[in-house]
Amino acid sequence: MVRRYIRVKIVCDHKLTNEQFHEILDNASRRYFGQLGVSRIDPRIVRFDAESLEAIVSCESSAAHEFESALSLITSYAEAPISLLVLRVSGTVKGAARGRK
Amino acid sequence: MGKYVDLHVIPRPDDAQSCERMAELLRTANYTTVGLTVATGLLKDRITFVRRIFEERGVSTALRADFKPTSRTELLRLLRRFRNLYDVVAVQCLNQQVATVSCRDRRVDLVFFDIANRNLRFSHTFARLLRGAVEFNLVSDLTAQDDPWVFSRFRKAIMVAREHHVNVVLSSGARNYEMVRSPFQISALAMSLGLGHEESIKGVSSIPSAIVTQNRKKRSPQYVEEGVKIVVPSVP
Repeated sequence: MVRRYIRVKIVCDHKLTNEQFHEILDNASRRYFGQLGVSRIDPRIVRFDAESLEAIVSCESSAAHEFESALSLITSYAEAPISLLVLRVSGTVKGAARGRK
Repeated sequence: MGKYVDLHVIPRPDDAQSCERMAELLRTANYTTVGLTVATGLLKDRITFVRRIFEERGVSTALRADFKPTSRTELLRLLRRFRNLYDVVAVQCLNQQVATVSCRDRRVDLVFFDIANRNLRFSHTFARLLRGAVEFNLVSDLTAQDDPWVFSRFRKAIMVAREHHVNVVLSSGARNYEMVRSPFQISALAMSLGLGHEESIKGVSSIPSAIVTQNRKKRSPQYVEEGVKIVVPSVP
């Protein structure tokens, strides 16, 4: 299975844990594409940096634009505003991490 | 790296901190140009101040005005008065009459429709008349409404635009920094709603960029009309 790796910046004013971030991704994918969509997208967290609020997430290559759409529609978590900014999309983890400060 | 443009960014001129954060995120998201939507009555100093915030962070700005006329007469009056003062002129179509005139008028660069308005949508009639481009404010419209039918309405509008091969501009419509999304995300949203890959990339890059370039050329003092410009002879 070919996967796409997406580097995202988390824009929020509070700290997040890996579990919370996972919940955010899962909820967003489920909300907009349903259970079947989640199985097709198969979102996973590859790297998560709680300090810089940056992460590399991966999904099935064929559902990459659906996953990116779901990421775009995230606006809040636990009643606090949050948004995700896709910085780079690549076929490898190394490619996705490129240009990272 | 491509040249990405978000033509619909609505900063709060009275909140410098929010503008700064917005500009930083737009830069991080790889935008080179943004269309700053300002009120027509805003003081020149204030406009310069907001533009400077964005330009200091490496984001070039184009001044944009959004008109919401309720009648044809009002639209024509606004265009006569403000067309030359802005790089981009967009009209929010509130009724059939305004939509027809703004689609036909070549002074209008962009038309957009209120997605919550069930009585007026981007139809085949408007697509046939359209001279400029139709704009979809994907982030603001999709995140603001809880109505699931908004997606369906967007799909229909995108289908009409595809069928008539009209120029589509994809924007965020961001009112604050939390609504800023990268061009990849905006294009992915449009693809999920039925727009083709190439069209969605053009919608965040070449089409909005061409609108800004063309209008800047028209606003330059050398420009006379299409194909005619003043050329100052070089001194030997």
